[in-house]
Amino acid sequence: MISQVFILSSKGDHLIYKDYRGEAGSDVINIFYEKVTALTGDQPPVVMSHKDLHFIHVRQEGLYWVATTTAADSSPFTIIEFLNRLTALVKDYCGSLSEKSVQMNFALIYELLDEIVDYGYIQTTSSDVLKNFIQTEAVSARPFSLFDLSNVGLFGAETQQSKVAPSSAATRPIQSSREVNVWDLRSCLTVCPSLTEMRIGLNEEFSIGKSQLRGYGAAVRVDECSFHQAVRLDEFDSHRILRLCPSQGEQTVMQYQLSDDLPSAPPFRLFPTIERDTGGRLLMYLKLRCDLPPKSLSQELSSPDQSAELKLQSRAVHWMIPRFPGGTQLSALFKLEVPGLSSASMLEVGPVGLSFELPKLTVTGLQIRFLRLSPIQPGPSQRWVRYVTHSDSYTIRI
Amino acid sequence: MTDSKYFTTTKKGEIFELKAELNSDKKEKKKEAVKKVIASMTVGKDVSALFPDVVNCMQTDNLELKKLVYLYLMNYAKSQPDMAIMAVNTFVKDCEDPNPLIRALAVRTMGCIRVDKITEYLCEPLRKCLKDEDPYVRKTAAVCVAKLHDINAQLVEDQGFLDTLKDLISDSNPMVVANAVAALSEIAESHPNSNLLDLNPQTINKLLTALNECTEWGQIFILDCLANYTPRDDRESQSICERVTPRLSHANSAVVLSAVKVLMKFMEMLPKDLDYYGTLLKKLAPPLVTLLSAEPELQYVALRNINLIVQRRPEILKHEMKVFFVKYNDPIYVKLEKLDIMIRLASQANIAQVLAELKEYATEVDVDFVRKAVRAIGRCAIKVEQSAERCVSTLLDLIQTKVNYVVQEAIVVIKDIFRKYPNKYESVIATLCENLDSLDEPEARAAMIWIVGEYAERIDNADELLESFLEGFHDESTQVQLQLLTAIVKLFLKKPTETQELVQQVLSLATQDSDNPDLRDRGYIYWRLLSTDPVAAKEVVLAEKPLISEETDLIEPTLLEELICHIGTLASVYHKPPSAFVEGSRGVQHKRLPGSAGSGESADSPDTGSAAGVSEAPPAVIPSQGDLLGDLLNLDLTPPTTSGPPPAPSSGMQMGAMDLLGGGLDSLMGDESEPPPVPQRTDTPQSPQLSHQSPSPPDYSPTELGGDLGGSPAMGAGFGAPPTAMPASFPPPVSGGLDDLFDLGGSVGMPMGAYSPPKSIWLPAMKAKGLEISGTFARRAGVIQMEMTLTNKAMSIMTDFAIQFNRNSFGLAPAGPLQVLTPVGPNQSIEVALPLSTVGPVMKMEPLTNLQVAVKNNIDVFYFSSQYPISMLFVEDGKMERQVFLATWKDIPNDNEAQFQIKDCHLNSDAASSKLQGSNVFTIAKRTVEGQDMLYQSMKLTNGIWVLAELRVQAGNPNYTVSLKCRAPEVSQCVFQSYEAMLKN
Repeated sequence: MISQVFILSSKGDHLIYKDYRGEAGSDVINIFYEKVTALTGDQPPVVMSHKDLHFIHVRQEGLYWVATTTAADSSPFTIIEFLNRLTALVKDYCGSLSEKSVQMNFALIYELLDEIVDYGYIQTTSSDVLKNFIQTEAVSARPFSLFDLSNVGLFGAETQQSKVAPSSAATRPIQSSREVNVWDLRSCLTVCPSLTEMRIGLNEEFSIGKSQLRGYGAAVRVDECSFHQAVRLDEFDSHRILRLCPSQGEQTVMQYQLSDDLPSAPPFRLFPTIERDTGGRLLMYLKLRCDLPPKSLSQELSSPDQSAELKLQSRAVHWMIPRFPGGTQLSALFKLEVPGLSSASMLEVGPVGLSFELPKLTVTGLQIRFLRLSPIQPGPSQRWVRYVTHSDSYTIRI
Repeated sequence: MTDSKYFTTTKKGEIFELKAELNSDKKEKKKEAVKKVIASMTVGKDVSALFPDVVNCMQTDNLELKKLVYLYLMNYAKSQPDMAIMAVNTFVKDCEDPNPLIRALAVRTMGCIRVDKITEYLCEPLRKCLKDEDPYVRKTAAVCVAKLHDINAQLVEDQGFLDTLKDLISDSNPMVVANAVAALSEIAESHPNSNLLDLNPQTINKLLTALNECTEWGQIFILDCLANYTPRDDRESQSICERVTPRLSHANSAVVLSAVKVLMKFMEMLPKDLDYYGTLLKKLAPPLVTLLSAEPELQYVALRNINLIVQRRPEILKHEMKVFFVKYNDPIYVKLEKLDIMIRLASQANIAQVLAELKEYATEVDVDFVRKAVRAIGRCAIKVEQSAERCVSTLLDLIQTKVNYVVQEAIVVIKDIFRKYPNKYESVIATLCENLDSLDEPEARAAMIWIVGEYAERIDNADELLESFLEGFHDESTQVQLQLLTAIVKLFLKKPTETQELVQQVLSLATQDSDNPDLRDRGYIYWRLLSTDPVAAKEVVLAEKPLISEETDLIEPTLLEELICHIGTLASVYHKPPSAFVEGSRGVQHKRLPGSAGSGESADSPDTGSAAGVSEAPPAVIPSQGDLLGDLLNLDLTPPTTSGPPPAPSSGMQMGAMDLLGGGLDSLMGDESEPPPVPQRTDTPQSPQLSHQSPSPPDYSPTELGGDLGGSPAMGAGFGAPPTAMPASFPPPVSGGLDDLFDLGGSVGMPMGAYSPPKSIWLPAMKAKGLEISGTFARRAGVIQMEMTLTNKAMSIMTDFAIQFNRNSFGLAPAGPLQVLTPVGPNQSIEVALPLSTVGPVMKMEPLTNLQVAVKNNIDVFYFSSQYPISMLFVEDGKMERQVFLATWKDIPNDNEAQFQIKDCHLNSDAASSKLQGSNVFTIAKRTVEGQDMLYQSMKLTNGIWVLAELRVQAGNPNYTVSLKCRAPEVSQCVFQSYEAMLKN
């Protein structure tokens, strides 16, 4: 049960304060702020308590989103999930998350808070349901721009006319180090006002779990899969079709995870050599190979526009590679002057972390077979399916 | 025009301006004004003066404006209750509005105005709204009942809202059901006995149906409610599990975790050999793994919960080691939590992988994390024996890095490995000694000194090493000083010739120049030991030490069970039971897993025990340690209780024990004007010598101390009695045998001891937070005794024991306090005999010999009941005169005669007679008729009731017949049972 919800700016200004159960006063806001700013790095910030009151908070876009509770049996999981949903909702309604947008839309946010939680019980966080109740119109922090679709206010008047239904299915590995992979299939739907149902067809040989192999071809296999609650799975078992009535806003339709046997080799391999030269300098020779199939022979191959920089604060070398075609190899030699370099400190070098984006590729081989809308929209509607793999943590040890 | 301008008005006279705007005719202007008011309210300005003006804006058909006004009302109504009444009419009117949004809004807001006066106006509208045709209004009204209940519980009951709410559980709309469940759950918490949320298979079925339809948040309410239900049998349990399992693939991790809680709980009821059990275990792993891909905050909460689950059911995640590997960019609190789980999952199968990981971690930059990683390597070595060698070599590699804190941590850990595998890895000592100079932390220094002392005979320059530490003796921390003292004494005992000077030096440093009583006492003990009997000293100080235990840092099983019931809640994040961090009544119910709460619930509930006073049992129950000490030192062995068992045998025993020490202690005490409080140390049996954090609390088993330290517990060893029993007035191991002997000597003509049933478990550890009590009753030398074995199966020490009885049929009451004077350590058990008197308050019990007992310790009060054999109450002067017997037999009406058969008894009449006499059943006459022996017997109960018996024994027939006559016929059944027990024993 949630006792209060409040939003603070990073400087501790009160932006929103809503009390649901009258169990504590608004003075706890300052107590929270003192506590959270006094935290040291190794203390888990997630749950903090003050007398009978427990603070649970998340930080998004520089704002503290805090809920308090007094009941011992309330679930921090529920509350964190709720706060994350709240931030998403506010973002959907106000267009962006910032101190300014929250301030400008405070009446709307109060209205939302009133509707999504009653007496500490979470009622709904679905924007479909909420749009029946919410009266206040959002004030957009920025002028509307067609090029900036992701930041457009959902209920902004202009966008509602738009027939554009951009949908991009992106796969994003949350973690891809040491053969552990968690992937995220997201479908981002921005504006589809009269849409009733969407059908997404996945590879037919898509299988979940180890035992369940289908077909003869190279199966697309994942270990575990979870779906958004709006997804109906009646055709999933037989035809691998996801049916959903998308609500407005961005949603993660399906999330899957894969560990151990990867269907393909990891996209990058690194061959590091670390040694100490006679002058006491640290030599790092890094050879990075991209093992993706060479799709197109790139012209930039001969002149990759690379740069490298030493960040003293994080004690790291950043090597930026703007473009890296499959099947090629890059190498770099870094010479570092390290005072007091000993053989033991050689052990402290590493690991190498890679962050990258791979367009037109899913590592599992998951594909969207088709994307159908019903009933058929009058007039032209456009569909985009875009595959992107983002790295989250791709770490290679030296 | 944006709303942000509302925050910038700081001019004076602002309130006045707002007032004017609020009273404006233009709707737009009004709305703007109310917005400004609310903006001021948010930043903490007092705008309560505008109350009447804002309330005036309430009567509007503009929903947006209405909402804003209501927002204001909720905030200020409490401070202006009289004004709030002004709003009531509009509320009532709005509750009848054709627009369901407005109806719901009104009923929601009214509930939030926590003003007593308006609650009575709320009742009628609420009643209507609870039956509203629109589900949105109904679900809002359901929550409103909970709000109203919080303000005025009596009113809600009187108005019958609770019944309406119960009906809503069967509502057609799942959202309404979810809110009704949530409201009822909350109301039920404040009425623990009301049975409001009557969970039976029918309602459970309804809930499970609603579960599939309602929103994700509603699913959480319902799952949490389900978790409180205890299924009747394993089949029901399985069917609920089957219907809950699909929730595991929900995208909302809170739903997943609530489902995991229900499954973990109900799994307890499933038989382990069931196929479904295995399937369920397999299904639980993937969702738990998925939780780890969320934001760090959620990950942390998930990891804390997984930590509990892994301890309870390691099999679920045993193949998922890899997901707990630490990511480079994890926040430190997530890293530490993952490390902990890795160790718990470490096994022979995956140890190589784990070690490789840990070695990597040990070279990271974060100091805390590196330390923990090094410790983790040590824990792996101790947990998985096969890996020990590899762990040691890994640690040596790390020592080679010469990174100061890594080296120190590694040395502490290696000491633990030596404790687990003695005489196996001594080859590494040389490497350790090389790093002696770099150690600056007390724990690492102490560990190193311990190693040097322990293996002094293999280190050529051990004396030099220790001497170098001795130079700065007074600058060292106590931990190091104590360790140094012990190590040098060990060294002396191993190489007496070269180190005489060194030991003199350290002893004088410890005893004369130190202010620390611990150090001084230990110094004296060693000194005295060495000067009186070096051989004994050797035996004490160099005694073999027990190995340290494997599994470490575990949560106590009983606490773990409770925490499993709280998966997903705050308790699971803090790893504390809710009672530890919530004051007041709400939500503090001890939850148990269903498997453990099966039978004997009466014993569990405090209502049955009379012992209300037990919890506040006077602290004087236990004689103060000081008295005891005096007793011991003066060899004054009078037991502290007067009505205790005969002191003779036990005192003899202790005398003997004292002799072992020779005059040592005495003369030591004689030397000192102020006797050091030696035995007081026994109540803190922690090893000052060993690091407490590493690797495990079970480090300090007192026996190990005895051998190792030669400190105060060594006295226990020297006494020849286990340390736990030392201060007790009669050593328990003796009490059984010796007292029996005493009985024999004491009452002539008793060929056999009185019958006493074997010990049975009265209080299982599951019900008493780890305290197990088994016991029996006996009559020894005319004194009724309750003989108990208290076993501590928890992980922490138990102290402050006390006992009380409920009123019972024969007025049994403890004749003295419960003599548990030493704390009972983990996995220790202690024997106590409690003498009983029969002068306590009397109340007839059912069954007659039922005894309800409350036992208190430092943890809690526990209740159990046991039945005593009535033979215990047969007094020694129960032999009736023949004439009196005859007369009484005739006198007692035949209705009171009861006849019983005892089957399969192969004694002849004489043997039976003598056997019974041992338990104070006296044979008055014997008659033989037609080959049948008739024994006439009498016995007297402590309360003066006579029981007369006729025992018929036929040679060659194993079946006896007993006829019992007594003025109080209800005892006959018990007496018969005793006969059977006595004869067959």
